[in-house]
Amino acid sequence: MGRVFVIDREDNVGTAVLEPLKKGETVEAYGRLTGVSVVAQADIAYGHKIALRDIRRGEQVLKYGLSIGTASQDIRAGEHVHVHNVESNRGRGDLAAR
Amino acid sequence: MTQWMGYVRPDGTVGARNLVLMLSGTVYANDVCERVADHIYGAVAITHPLGRCQVRPDLRMTRRFLSNTGMNPNVGAVVVVDHFREEGCTAYDIADDIQSATHKPVAVVNIREAGGLISATEKGLRYAADFARMLSDHQREPVPLSELLFGVECGTSDTTSGLASNPSTGICSDLIIAEGGRTIMAECTEWMGCEEWLTGRAVNEAIADQIVAGVQDMERRALASGEDIRGSQPTGDNMVGGLTTIEEKSMGACKKSGSAPIVGYLEIAARPEEMTAGLYVMYGPGHGAESISSMAAAGCQVLVFNAGGGHTSSHPIMPTIKITGNATSYELMKDTVELDVSGVLRDEISLEQAGRMVFDEVVAVASGRLTKSEALKAHNSFAIHRVGVSI
Repeated sequence: MGRVFVIDREDNVGTAVLEPLKKGETVEAYGRLTGVSVVAQADIAYGHKIALRDIRRGEQVLKYGLSIGTASQDIRAGEHVHVHNVESNRGRGDLAAR
Repeated sequence: MTQWMGYVRPDGTVGARNLVLMLSGTVYANDVCERVADHIYGAVAITHPLGRCQVRPDLRMTRRFLSNTGMNPNVGAVVVVDHFREEGCTAYDIADDIQSATHKPVAVVNIREAGGLISATEKGLRYAADFARMLSDHQREPVPLSELLFGVECGTSDTTSGLASNPSTGICSDLIIAEGGRTIMAECTEWMGCEEWLTGRAVNEAIADQIVAGVQDMERRALASGEDIRGSQPTGDNMVGGLTTIEEKSMGACKKSGSAPIVGYLEIAARPEEMTAGLYVMYGPGHGAESISSMAAAGCQVLVFNAGGGHTSSHPIMPTIKITGNATSYELMKDTVELDVSGVLRDEISLEQAGRMVFDEVVAVASGRLTKSEALKAHNSFAIHRVGVSI
Protein backbone atom coordinates (compact mmCIF):
# COMPACT_ATOMS: atom_id res chain seq x y z
CA MET A 1 0.00 0.00 0.00
CA GLY A 2 1.21 3.50 -0.84
CA ARG A 3 0.86 6.58 1.34
CA VAL A 4 0.62 10.30 0.56
CA PHE A 5 1.13 13.24 2.90
CA VAL A 6 -1.69 15.80 3.06
CA ILE A 7 -0.89 19.20 4.60
CA ASP A 8 -4.44 20.52 4.99
CA ARG A 9 -7.73 18.71 5.56
CA GLU A 10 -9.38 20.73 2.75
CA ASP A 11 -6.87 19.51 0.14
CA ASN A 12 -7.88 17.43 -2.86
CA VAL A 13 -4.31 16.29 -3.58
CA GLY A 14 -1.66 14.45 -1.54
CA THR A 15 2.11 14.24 -2.09
CA ALA A 16 4.24 11.08 -2.30
CA VAL A 17 7.07 11.77 0.16
CA LEU A 18 7.89 8.23 1.34
CA GLU A 19 8.03 6.02 -1.76
CA PRO A 20 6.98 6.48 -5.41
CA LEU A 21 3.45 5.19 -6.03
CA LYS A 22 2.75 2.22 -8.29
CA LYS A 23 -0.16 2.05 -10.71
CA GLY A 24 -2.96 -0.07 -9.27
CA GLU A 25 -1.90 0.12 -5.64
CA THR A 26 -4.13 1.48 -2.91
CA VAL A 27 -2.89 4.83 -1.62
CA GLU A 28 -3.84 6.13 1.81
CA ALA A 29 -3.73 9.74 3.02
CA TYR A 30 -1.95 10.74 6.23
CA GLY A 31 -0.92 14.00 7.89
CA ARG A 32 -3.80 16.43 8.34
CA LEU A 33 -6.26 14.30 6.36
CA THR A 34 -6.84 10.67 7.27
CA GLY A 35 -9.41 8.03 6.43
CA VAL A 36 -9.20 8.66 2.66
CA SER A 37 -7.78 6.16 0.20
CA VAL A 38 -7.68 5.97 -3.59
CA VAL A 39 -6.26 3.58 -6.20
CA ALA A 40 -3.28 5.00 -8.11
CA GLN A 41 -4.15 5.31 -11.81
CA ALA A 42 -0.50 5.72 -12.85
CA ASP A 43 3.02 5.37 -11.50
CA ILE A 44 3.65 8.57 -9.53
CA ALA A 45 7.18 9.74 -8.71
CA TYR A 46 8.52 10.89 -5.34
CA GLY A 47 7.49 14.49 -4.67
CA HIS A 48 4.56 14.32 -7.10
CA LYS A 49 0.85 14.65 -6.34
CA ILE A 50 -2.15 12.33 -6.61
CA ALA A 51 -5.84 13.34 -6.72
CA LEU A 52 -7.66 12.29 -3.56
CA ARG A 53 -11.06 12.68 -5.20
CA ASP A 54 -12.51 13.52 -8.58
CA ILE A 55 -11.64 17.08 -9.58
CA ARG A 56 -13.72 18.53 -12.41
CA ARG A 57 -12.29 20.68 -15.17
CA GLY A 58 -12.31 24.30 -13.96
CA GLU A 59 -12.28 23.27 -10.29
CA GLN A 60 -9.50 24.55 -8.01
CA VAL A 61 -6.68 22.17 -7.07
CA LEU A 62 -6.17 22.61 -3.33
CA LYS A 63 -2.92 22.16 -1.37
CA TYR A 64 -2.23 24.01 1.91
CA GLY A 65 -6.01 24.50 1.90
CA LEU A 66 -5.46 27.04 -0.90
CA SER A 67 -5.69 27.01 -4.67
CA ILE A 68 -2.47 26.08 -6.44
CA GLY A 69 -4.15 26.26 -9.85
CA THR A 70 -7.17 25.23 -11.90
CA ALA A 71 -7.83 21.74 -13.29
CA SER A 72 -7.46 22.04 -17.08
CA GLN A 73 -9.32 18.74 -17.60
CA ASP A 74 -11.38 16.34 -15.53
CA ILE A 75 -9.10 14.56 -13.07
CA ARG A 76 -10.23 11.25 -11.58
CA ALA A 77 -9.39 10.21 -8.02
CA GLY A 78 -6.00 8.45 -8.08
CA GLU A 79 -4.67 10.25 -11.15
CA HIS A 80 -1.34 12.02 -11.26
CA VAL A 81 -1.88 15.78 -10.77
CA HIS A 82 0.73 17.93 -12.47
CA VAL A 83 1.39 20.36 -15.33
CA HIS A 84 -0.53 18.19 -17.83
CA ASN A 85 -3.85 18.70 -16.03
CA VAL A 86 -3.37 21.83 -13.87
CA GLU A 87 -2.89 25.42 -14.97
CA SER A 88 -1.58 28.22 -12.83
CA ASN A 89 -4.01 31.01 -12.10
CA ARG A 90 -1.04 33.37 -12.30
CA GLY A 91 -0.21 32.70 -15.96
CA ARG A 92 2.19 29.98 -16.98
CA GLY A 93 5.42 31.87 -17.50
CA ASP A 94 7.28 28.83 -18.77
CA LEU A 95 4.83 28.54 -21.67
CA ALA A 96 4.63 32.27 -22.29
CA ALA A 97 8.41 32.37 -22.59
CA ARG A 98 8.41 29.89 -25.50
CA MET B 1 4.18 32.71 29.51
CA THR B 2 7.49 31.60 28.01
CA GLN B 3 10.56 33.53 29.06
CA TRP B 4 14.00 33.66 27.52
CA MET B 5 17.27 34.88 28.97
CA GLY B 6 18.78 37.91 27.28
CA TYR B 7 21.03 40.93 27.72
CA VAL B 8 18.98 44.10 28.28
CA ARG B 9 20.61 46.98 26.36
CA PRO B 10 20.66 50.73 27.22
CA ASP B 11 17.86 51.38 24.67
CA GLY B 12 15.64 48.67 26.21
CA THR B 13 16.13 46.13 23.44
CA VAL B 14 17.32 42.65 24.43
CA GLY B 15 20.26 40.75 22.99
CA ALA B 16 20.55 36.99 22.55
CA ARG B 17 24.33 37.45 22.36
CA ASN B 18 26.80 39.87 23.94
CA LEU B 19 29.27 40.43 21.13
CA VAL B 20 32.04 42.89 20.43
CA LEU B 21 31.54 43.71 16.75
CA MET B 22 34.51 44.63 14.57
CA LEU B 23 32.59 46.39 11.81
CA SER B 24 34.37 47.12 8.57
CA GLY B 25 33.26 50.35 6.92
CA THR B 26 35.01 49.54 3.68
CA VAL B 27 36.59 46.63 1.85
CA TYR B 28 40.06 47.99 2.67
CA ALA B 29 39.52 47.66 6.42
CA ASN B 30 38.38 44.03 6.32
CA ASP B 31 41.73 42.55 7.34
CA VAL B 32 42.11 44.82 10.37
CA CYS B 33 38.65 43.74 11.57
CA GLU B 34 39.46 40.06 11.06
CA ARG B 35 42.86 40.30 12.78
CA VAL B 36 41.38 42.02 15.82
CA ALA B 37 38.36 39.69 16.08
CA ASP B 38 40.68 36.66 15.92
CA HIS B 39 42.42 37.81 19.10
CA ILE B 40 39.59 39.14 21.25
CA TYR B 41 37.27 37.11 23.48
CA GLY B 42 33.68 37.29 22.26
CA ALA B 43 34.53 39.38 19.21
CA VAL B 44 33.29 38.82 15.69
CA ALA B 45 34.14 40.60 12.43
CA ILE B 46 31.75 41.80 9.76
CA THR B 47 33.47 42.29 6.42
CA HIS B 48 32.24 42.91 2.87
CA PRO B 49 33.51 44.12 -0.53
CA LEU B 50 31.69 47.49 -0.53
CA GLY B 51 31.89 51.01 0.91
CA ARG B 52 33.98 52.56 -1.87
CA CYS B 53 33.19 53.76 -5.39
CA GLN B 54 29.46 53.15 -5.10
CA VAL B 55 26.65 55.19 -6.61
CA ARG B 56 24.77 57.26 -4.02
CA PRO B 57 21.78 54.90 -3.60
CA ASP B 58 24.20 52.02 -3.05
CA LEU B 59 26.30 53.97 -0.58
CA ARG B 60 23.14 54.76 1.38
CA MET B 61 22.22 51.06 1.26
CA THR B 62 25.68 50.05 2.51
CA ARG B 63 25.45 52.56 5.34
CA ARG B 64 21.97 51.33 6.32
CA PHE B 65 23.08 47.68 6.38
CA LEU B 66 26.24 48.44 8.40
CA SER B 67 24.72 50.94 10.85
CA ASN B 68 21.59 48.90 11.48
CA THR B 69 23.62 45.72 11.96
CA GLY B 70 25.64 47.55 14.61
CA MET B 71 22.35 48.54 16.29
CA ASN B 72 21.25 44.86 16.60
CA PRO B 73 20.87 44.09 20.33
CA ASN B 74 23.07 40.98 19.97
CA VAL B 75 25.94 43.46 19.66
CA GLY B 76 27.11 44.88 22.99
CA ALA B 77 29.79 47.21 21.64
CA VAL B 78 31.19 48.15 18.23
CA VAL B 79 34.54 49.15 16.76
CA VAL B 80 34.03 50.61 13.28
CA VAL B 81 37.10 50.59 11.05
CA ASP B 82 37.79 52.37 7.76
CA HIS B 83 40.90 53.46 5.92
CA PHE B 84 39.96 56.78 4.40
CA ARG B 85 36.90 58.97 4.23
CA GLU B 86 34.21 58.03 1.73
CA GLU B 87 31.81 60.91 2.03
CA GLY B 88 28.42 59.79 3.32
CA CYS B 89 29.56 56.42 4.65
CA THR B 90 32.58 56.96 6.91
CA ALA B 91 33.29 54.97 10.04
CA TYR B 92 32.38 58.17 11.92
CA ASP B 93 28.97 58.31 10.19
CA ILE B 94 28.28 54.65 10.97
CA ALA B 95 29.45 55.00 14.59
CA ASP B 96 27.25 58.07 14.98
CA ASP B 97 24.20 56.26 13.61
CA ILE B 98 24.70 53.35 16.02
CA GLN B 99 25.46 55.43 19.09
CA SER B 100 22.66 57.96 18.65
CA ALA B 101 20.07 55.21 18.10
CA THR B 102 21.17 52.78 20.82
CA HIS B 103 23.60 54.53 23.24
CA LYS B 104 25.84 51.46 23.17
CA PRO B 105 29.65 51.86 23.39
CA VAL B 106 31.11 52.55 19.94
CA ALA B 107 34.69 53.39 18.89
CA VAL B 108 36.20 54.36 15.54
CA VAL B 109 39.53 53.38 14.04
CA ASN B 110 40.61 55.19 10.88
CA ILE B 111 43.63 53.40 9.49
CA ARG B 112 45.21 56.49 7.96
CA GLU B 113 44.69 58.62 11.05
CA ALA B 114 46.06 55.80 13.23
CA GLY B 115 49.31 55.84 11.25
CA GLY B 116 48.86 52.74 9.15
CA LEU B 117 47.80 49.12 9.33
CA ILE B 118 49.92 48.06 12.30
CA SER B 119 48.97 51.00 14.50
CA ALA B 120 45.31 50.66 13.50
CA THR B 121 45.35 46.99 14.45
CA GLU B 122 46.85 47.82 17.83
CA LYS B 123 44.26 50.55 18.39
CA GLY B 124 41.47 48.15 17.42
CA LEU B 125 42.78 45.49 19.79
CA ARG B 126 42.86 47.94 22.70
CA TYR B 127 39.30 49.18 22.10
CA ALA B 128 37.96 45.66 21.58
CA ALA B 129 39.73 44.23 24.67
CA ASP B 130 38.31 47.04 26.82
CA PHE B 131 34.83 46.44 25.41
CA ALA B 132 35.11 42.67 25.97
CA ARG B 133 35.86 43.22 29.66
CA MET B 134 33.13 45.84 29.98
CA LEU B 135 30.54 43.50 28.41
CA SER B 136 31.58 40.61 30.64
CA ASP B 137 29.89 42.42 33.54
CA HIS B 138 26.50 42.11 31.84
CA GLN B 139 24.30 39.21 32.93
CA ARG B 140 21.36 37.57 31.16
CA GLU B 141 17.92 38.37 32.60
CA PRO B 142 14.55 36.69 32.06
CA VAL B 143 12.48 38.57 29.48
CA PRO B 144 9.17 37.82 27.68
CA LEU B 145 8.86 36.76 24.05
CA SER B 146 7.55 40.24 23.26
CA GLU B 147 11.26 41.19 23.28
CA LEU B 148 12.02 38.71 20.51
CA LEU B 149 12.27 39.67 16.85
CA PHE B 150 12.42 36.37 15.00
CA GLY B 151 13.59 35.92 11.40
CA VAL B 152 12.53 33.20 8.97
CA GLU B 153 14.33 32.18 5.79
CA CYS B 154 14.46 29.24 3.39
CA GLY B 155 16.97 27.99 0.85
CA THR B 156 18.11 24.80 -0.92
CA SER B 157 14.39 24.03 -0.99
CA ASP B 158 13.17 20.59 -2.01
CA THR B 159 9.95 18.57 -1.86
CA THR B 160 10.21 18.34 1.92
CA SER B 161 10.62 22.10 2.51
CA GLY B 162 7.04 23.17 1.81
CA LEU B 163 5.59 20.18 3.69
CA ALA B 164 7.81 19.80 6.77
CA SER B 165 10.41 22.44 7.70
CA ASN B 166 8.62 25.58 6.46
CA PRO B 167 5.24 24.74 8.04
CA SER B 168 6.97 23.70 11.29
CA THR B 169 8.77 27.03 11.41
CA GLY B 170 5.47 28.77 10.66
CA ILE B 171 3.91 27.07 13.69
CA CYS B 172 6.90 28.21 15.78
CA SER B 173 6.36 31.77 14.52
CA ASP B 174 2.67 31.63 15.44
CA LEU B 175 3.60 30.47 18.96
CA ILE B 176 6.07 33.38 19.34
CA ILE B 177 3.53 35.92 18.07
CA ALA B 178 0.81 34.50 20.35
CA GLU B 179 3.10 35.46 23.25
CA GLY B 180 3.58 39.01 21.97
CA GLY B 181 6.61 38.48 19.74
CA ARG B 182 7.36 39.67 16.23
CA THR B 183 8.51 37.76 13.14
CA ILE B 184 10.07 39.04 9.91
CA MET B 185 9.81 37.29 6.55
CA ALA B 186 11.79 38.79 3.66
CA GLU B 187 12.47 37.42 0.13
CA CYS B 188 9.62 39.11 -1.74
CA THR B 189 10.59 37.18 -4.89
CA GLU B 190 9.03 34.21 -3.10
CA TRP B 191 5.74 35.96 -2.48
CA MET B 192 5.13 35.92 -6.23
CA GLY B 193 2.17 33.65 -6.84
CA CYS B 194 0.70 33.81 -3.36
CA GLU B 195 0.26 37.57 -3.04
CA GLU B 196 -3.47 37.10 -2.46
CA TRP B 197 -2.88 34.81 0.51
CA LEU B 198 -0.48 37.39 1.99
CA THR B 199 -2.58 40.47 1.24
CA GLY B 200 -5.54 38.67 2.84
CA ARG B 201 -3.51 38.48 6.04
CA ALA B 202 -2.53 42.18 6.01
CA VAL B 203 -4.22 44.20 8.75
CA ASN B 204 -4.85 47.14 6.43
CA GLU B 205 -5.01 48.04 2.77
CA ALA B 206 -1.82 50.09 2.79
CA ILE B 207 0.22 47.03 3.77
CA ALA B 208 -1.61 44.89 1.21
CA ASP B 209 -0.77 47.44 -1.51
CA GLN B 210 2.89 47.51 -0.43
CA ILE B 211 3.10 43.71 -0.65
CA VAL B 212 1.85 43.72 -4.25
CA ALA B 213 4.07 46.70 -5.15
CA GLY B 214 7.11 45.02 -3.60
CA VAL B 215 6.73 41.91 -5.75
CA GLN B 216 6.15 44.02 -8.87
CA ASP B 217 9.19 46.17 -8.14
CA MET B 218 11.49 43.17 -7.71
CA GLU B 219 10.15 41.68 -10.93
CA ARG B 220 10.67 44.98 -12.78
CA ARG B 221 14.25 45.27 -11.53
CA ALA B 222 15.02 41.73 -12.68
CA LEU B 223 13.40 42.39 -16.07
CA ALA B 224 15.52 45.52 -16.50
CA SER B 225 18.59 43.30 -16.26
CA GLY B 226 17.17 40.85 -18.81
CA GLU B 227 15.79 38.20 -16.43
CA ASP B 228 12.11 37.29 -16.54
CA ILE B 229 11.86 35.72 -13.10
CA ARG B 230 8.18 34.94 -13.57
CA GLY B 231 9.01 33.06 -16.77
CA SER B 232 11.38 30.76 -14.91
CA GLN B 233 8.98 29.96 -12.09
CA PRO B 234 8.60 27.19 -11.33
CA THR B 235 11.90 26.09 -12.87
CA GLY B 236 12.27 22.95 -14.97
CA ASP B 237 13.96 21.27 -12.02
CA ASN B 238 11.04 22.24 -9.78
CA MET B 239 8.60 20.60 -12.19
CA VAL B 240 10.66 17.41 -12.40
CA GLY B 241 10.58 17.43 -8.57
CA GLY B 242 6.78 17.60 -8.61
CA LEU B 243 6.00 21.32 -8.22
CA THR B 244 3.26 22.24 -10.66
CA THR B 245 2.65 25.98 -10.40
CA ILE B 246 4.24 29.13 -8.99
CA GLU B 247 1.38 29.29 -6.47
CA GLU B 248 2.40 25.90 -5.09
CA LYS B 249 6.08 26.83 -4.94
CA SER B 250 5.47 30.20 -3.26
CA MET B 251 2.97 28.87 -0.75
CA GLY B 252 5.46 26.20 0.27
CA ALA B 253 8.05 28.95 0.86
CA CYS B 254 5.69 31.39 2.60
CA LYS B 255 4.38 28.67 4.95
CA LYS B 256 7.41 29.53 7.10
CA SER B 257 5.55 32.72 8.03
CA GLY B 258 2.78 30.76 9.75
CA SER B 259 -0.73 32.17 9.77
CA ALA B 260 -0.45 35.31 11.93
CA PRO B 261 -1.70 38.70 10.70
CA ILE B 262 0.76 40.86 8.73
CA VAL B 263 1.06 44.02 10.80
CA GLY B 264 3.88 45.83 8.99
CA TYR B 265 5.79 46.22 5.75
CA LEU B 266 9.49 47.05 5.96
CA GLU B 267 11.95 48.36 3.41
CA ILE B 268 15.05 46.19 3.09
CA ALA B 269 17.23 46.18 6.24
CA ALA B 270 14.92 48.71 7.96
CA ARG B 271 14.20 48.42 11.69
CA PRO B 272 10.52 48.03 12.59
CA GLU B 273 9.43 51.08 14.58
CA GLU B 274 6.52 49.34 16.26
CA MET B 275 6.41 46.66 18.92
CA THR B 276 3.01 45.36 17.72
CA ALA B 277 2.99 41.56 17.84
CA GLY B 278 2.62 39.90 14.45
CA LEU B 279 4.32 39.23 11.16
CA TYR B 280 6.34 41.91 9.37
CA VAL B 281 7.17 41.39 5.72
CA MET B 282 10.33 42.91 4.26
CA TYR B 283 11.22 43.90 0.70
CA GLY B 284 14.28 42.11 -0.59
CA PRO B 285 15.75 39.45 -2.85
CA GLY B 286 15.79 35.68 -2.43
CA HIS B 287 19.61 35.76 -2.16
CA GLY B 288 20.08 33.97 1.17
CA ALA B 289 23.00 35.93 2.62
CA GLU B 290 21.53 39.32 1.63
CA SER B 291 18.15 38.30 2.93
CA ILE B 292 19.27 37.11 6.36
CA SER B 293 21.62 40.12 6.62
CA SER B 294 18.67 42.42 5.99
CA MET B 295 16.79 40.74 8.85
CA ALA B 296 19.83 40.96 11.17
CA ALA B 297 20.00 44.68 10.30
CA ALA B 298 16.31 44.98 11.21
CA GLY B 299 17.24 43.71 14.67
CA CYS B 300 16.34 40.01 14.57
CA GLN B 301 18.09 38.23 17.46
CA VAL B 302 17.56 34.69 16.11
CA LEU B 303 16.72 33.30 12.69
CA VAL B 304 15.51 29.92 11.47
CA PHE B 305 16.82 28.92 8.06
CA ASN B 306 14.85 26.05 6.50
CA ALA B 307 17.02 24.09 4.15
CA GLY B 308 15.71 20.98 2.39
CA GLY B 309 19.18 20.25 1.06
CA GLY B 310 20.92 21.28 4.29
CA HIS B 311 22.94 24.49 4.57
CA THR B 312 26.05 26.15 5.97
CA SER B 313 24.58 29.66 6.10
CA SER B 314 25.31 31.51 9.34
CA HIS B 315 25.23 35.23 10.08
CA PRO B 316 28.10 36.64 12.17
CA ILE B 317 25.91 38.30 14.83
CA MET B 318 22.53 36.55 14.50
CA PRO B 319 22.39 32.87 15.50
CA THR B 320 21.15 31.03 12.41
CA ILE B 321 19.33 27.78 13.22
CA LYS B 322 19.15 25.36 10.29
CA ILE B 323 16.28 22.92 9.89
CA THR B 324 15.61 20.26 7.29
CA GLY B 325 12.75 17.89 6.60
CA ASN B 326 15.02 15.67 4.50
CA ALA B 327 16.69 12.89 6.53
CA THR B 328 19.41 12.35 3.90
CA SER B 329 20.30 16.05 3.94
CA TYR B 330 20.49 15.97 7.71
CA GLU B 331 22.91 13.02 7.62
CA LEU B 332 25.10 14.79 5.06
CA MET B 333 24.96 18.26 6.60
CA LYS B 334 24.49 17.71 10.33
CA ASP B 335 27.74 19.57 11.11
CA THR B 336 25.76 22.77 10.61
CA VAL B 337 22.08 21.69 10.70
CA GLU B 338 20.41 21.69 14.12
CA LEU B 339 17.06 20.00 13.56
CA ASP B 340 15.70 17.17 11.45
CA VAL B 341 11.88 17.32 11.20
CA SER B 342 11.60 14.54 8.60
CA GLY B 343 9.60 12.58 11.19
CA VAL B 344 6.59 14.63 10.03
CA LEU B 345 6.73 13.01 6.60
CA ARG B 346 7.25 9.52 8.07
CA ASP B 347 4.12 10.07 10.19
CA GLU B 348 6.17 9.78 13.40
CA ILE B 349 5.46 13.28 14.70
CA SER B 350 2.76 15.83 13.90
CA LEU B 351 3.49 19.22 12.38
CA GLU B 352 2.41 20.72 15.71
CA GLN B 353 5.04 18.63 17.54
CA ALA B 354 7.67 19.65 14.99
CA GLY B 355 6.64 23.29 15.42
CA ARG B 356 7.09 22.94 19.17
CA MET B 357 10.57 21.42 18.60
CA VAL B 358 11.53 24.45 16.51
CA PHE B 359 10.08 26.80 19.13
CA ASP B 360 12.03 25.11 21.94
CA GLU B 361 15.25 25.36 19.91
CA VAL B 362 14.64 29.05 19.17
CA VAL B 363 14.06 29.86 22.85
CA ALA B 364 17.15 27.86 23.88
CA VAL B 365 19.37 29.52 21.28
CA ALA B 366 18.02 32.98 22.16
CA SER B 367 18.93 32.19 25.76
CA GLY B 368 22.52 31.25 24.96
CA ARG B 369 22.70 27.76 23.45
CA LEU B 370 25.24 27.95 20.62
CA THR B 371 24.17 27.00 17.12
CA LYS B 372 26.39 24.40 15.48
CA SER B 373 27.81 27.12 13.21
CA GLU B 374 28.58 29.36 16.17
CA ALA B 375 30.43 26.53 17.91
CA LEU B 376 32.50 26.18 14.73
CA LYS B 377 32.97 29.96 14.37
CA ALA B 378 31.52 29.42 10.90
CA HIS B 379 30.15 32.85 9.99
CA ASN B 380 29.79 33.16 6.25
CA SER B 381 26.56 35.01 5.57
CA PHE B 382 26.94 38.76 5.72
CA ALA B 383 26.06 40.42 2.41
CA ILE B 384 24.78 43.86 1.46
CA HIS B 385 22.04 44.27 -1.14
CA ARG B 386 23.10 46.30 -4.18
CA VAL B 387 21.06 48.65 -6.31
CA GLY B 388 23.39 49.92 -9.03
CA VAL B 389 26.84 49.58 -10.57
CA SER B 390 30.29 50.17 -9.09
CA ILE B 391 31.88 53.41 -10.26
